Amino acid sequence: MLDTDAGQAVRVEGLVKQFGSLTAVDDVSFDVKRGEIFGILGPNGAGKTTTLEIIEGLLKPTQGTVSVLGLNVFKEPNKVKARIGVQLQSSAYHDYLKLTEILTLLGSFYPKRVSPTELLERVGLADKAKSRVKELSGGQQQSFTVAASLVNDPELVILDEPTTGLDPQARRNLWSLIQEINERGVTVIMTTHYMEEAEALCQRLAIMDHGRLVSVDSPRNMINQLDATYTVKLVVANPLTDAQVASFNGGVEVIQAAEGNAYLLRMHNSPKALGNMLEEINRSEISLEHLEVTPVTLEDVFLELTGNELQD
Amino acid sequence: MLTLVIANLKMLARNRQATFWAILFPLLLVVAFGLFDINNVGSGNLVVVDLDGGPRAKTLQQALGQVEILDLESLDLKSGQDAETEARLKVSEKDLDYLVIIPQGFEDGDPEEESQSPARITLVYNSRDRGRNQLVDALIRSLVAETQPENNPLPISQILTTQVIEVPEVDYFDEVLMGLIGLGIMTNSIISIAVRVSTFRNQSILKRLLVTPLPIWKYFAGEILAHLVLAAIQVAIFLAVGVFAFGASIHGNVGWIFVIALLGTVVFLNIGFILSAWARSPAAASALGNLVALPMMFFAGAFFSTATLPWVLPEAARVLPLTPMLEALRDVAIDSAPLWETWPQLGAMGIWVAVTALIASRVFRFS
Repeated sequence: MLDTDAGQAVRVEGLVKQFGSLTAVDDVSFDVKRGEIFGILGPNGAGKTTTLEIIEGLLKPTQGTVSVLGLNVFKEPNKVKARIGVQLQSSAYHDYLKLTEILTLLGSFYPKRVSPTELLERVGLADKAKSRVKELSGGQQQSFTVAASLVNDPELVILDEPTTGLDPQARRNLWSLIQEINERGVTVIMTTHYMEEAEALCQRLAIMDHGRLVSVDSPRNMINQLDATYTVKLVVANPLTDAQVASFNGGVEVIQAAEGNAYLLRMHNSPKALGNMLEEINRSEISLEHLEVTPVTLEDVFLELTGNELQD
Repeated sequence: MLTLVIANLKMLARNRQATFWAILFPLLLVVAFGLFDINNVGSGNLVVVDLDGGPRAKTLQQALGQVEILDLESLDLKSGQDAETEARLKVSEKDLDYLVIIPQGFEDGDPEEESQSPARITLVYNSRDRGRNQLVDALIRSLVAETQPENNPLPISQILTTQVIEVPEVDYFDEVLMGLIGLGIMTNSIISIAVRVSTFRNQSILKRLLVTPLPIWKYFAGEILAHLVLAAIQVAIFLAVGVFAFGASIHGNVGWIFVIALLGTVVFLNIGFILSAWARSPAAASALGNLVALPMMFFAGAFFSTATLPWVLPEAARVLPLTPMLEALRDVAIDSAPLWETWPQLGAMGIWVAVTALIASRVFRFS
C-alpha cells in the first residue's frame, strides 16, 4: 500500500464543525505521529470529543480534511474503521452479554481480530471473562472498554476521557495499560481534562479551548516556553508598594495580584531570581505571612494560554 | 408529610410511563370495551333470487331490504351462470350469509286449488352463526307470512322451506387463538424493538457500532432475524398450548400460519423502529409501544368482531396492519384456505412492510 504520510497516523487540516450557530471546532490543524501518545487537553465543551468523532468518521466536518493512516476518512470510512480502535466517552455495553461474548461480537465486525481471552488477559480481566459489564468496578469497566477498542488489533487507538470519574489508583492502573498498548507500537490519541495525566502520559499535546487549538507541543516544551521554572505565591502583611515590586527586578514577573495581599509571581532566570527576591524581601523588611514555591506545571501553561483555570 | 405527598405526586406526574399506566391505560380499556356492543348481533348479507318477478315478490324484497341486521346485496353474475346455483355455492363457501329464493309461480299460487300446491320460498343459510340464524329465520318467516292474502293465509310451513348448509363448526376459541397470536406478535415486536433501540441509543451502544466497519443494514438485519426467530417460537407455543391444552382445532396448513405471522412480525418490527426514534428513554419507548399496540388489538378484531363498532370505526379498522394479518390467519386456520387465497391480505401487509420500512429509514436516529 502506498502511504504518502508514512510518519503520520493522523493529519487534521483546517477542521471546522458547526452545529447550527455554535462553532464546536474552529479551524483546527494538527498531526499525530505514528507510535506516539497524543493528548488533547481542554475543559468540557472545548471541542475535544467533536474533533475525535470527526477523526473516527462519526461526524462530517463543515470544513477541512482529515486523513487517518494515510486514508481519507470521508471517502473510505470502512477501511479506516477496520484499522482503528475507538473508545467512546460514556459508552456502555450490552447488559445481557458476558465480557467474552461482547468481545466476540465486536470482533465479528472486523476482518482481523484478537481472541477475547488474550484481550482480557492484557487488561487484567481474565478472571472476569464470564461476568457482565454491570458487575465490574468503575476502573474495571474502563479497562474493559479499552480492551474492546483493541479487538481488531488496531494501529491507532482513540480514547475519549478514559480516566474520567476514576479514583487515583484506578487511574494509575489505566495509565500503565495505555503505556503498555503504546509500547506494542500502537499510536494512541486520548483526551483528558487532567493536567497531571497529560503530563505523565502524552509525548505530545494539543490544548483546546472554545473550539480553538491553542498550542501543540510536548508537555516539556510547553512548560519551557513559559520561560519560568518556579511560581511563587506570596502573602504579605501590608500591600507591596510599586517600588518594592520594582526592586524584585532580575526576572520576576508579577502575573496576578489576587485578593488582599496575596501575589502570584513567576520566576524567570531562577534559581538566581528567587534568591534575589528573598534577599530583597529581607532587606526591605516586608513582613511575610506565607511563601510557597512551586515548579511550573501544565496548569500554568494552560492559564497563560487561555486565561482560564482548567478544573471544572 | 404533605410536602412528601406533593413531591411524590409531582414525580409521578412527570414520569410519563407511570402516568400512562395509571390513567391512560385503564381509560383506553374503558373506551375500547364501551365501543364494542358485545350483546349486539352483527349484521349479515342477504341475496334475493327472484324467479317470479310479481308484485308480491317485489313487496317481500322491499321488506327484506329494510331489516336492520341484513345487508341486501345483488349477485354479480357472469353471463350464462345460474343465479340460484351460484348463490348456493356462495353460502356454502361462507361468502354469503343468507339467500332467499322466490320461485316462479309464487304470485299465481292459488291457495284455493287443492291440487296445485303453492310454490314455496326457500331460505338458505349456513350453520356458522347460530344465534343470528335463529333471529334471521324468525324475521324472514314473519315477513313472508305478511305477503299472504289477509282473508285466507296459508300456514307458513306450506310457503317457506329452510335449508341449512352444514359448514364446519367454528369455536369462538379458535378465532380468539388467532387473535392472541396476532396480539402476541404485535406487542412483543413493537415494544421489544422500541425499548431495545432506545436503550442501545441511550447507552451509546448504537454509536459504538457505528465506529466499527459493520454495515448499517447488517445491524437491522440482525435485529429483524433475531426477532423473527422469537416470533416463530412464540407462534409455536401459542399453537401448542391452544391445541393441546385447550382443544383448539386448526383446520388449515400450520406452515402458512407461520408465514403470515412472520410477515406481520416484519411490519410490527418496523413500527418499533419508527417509535424508537421518538422515544427519549426506554420507559417512554415502552409507553409509546403500548399506546400503539393496545388500540390496534381491539380495533383490528383480535377478540371481538369489529362489525358492531359505531361510526366509521369498522372501515377505519380495515386499514390497520393487524387486521389483514388476523383475517389471513383465520382464513387459513379456520376456513382451511390455502395461502394464495389470502393474497389481498398478504398484499395489504406487503404494502405496510414497504411503507413502515420507508418511514423507519427516514426517522431512525443512532444518537
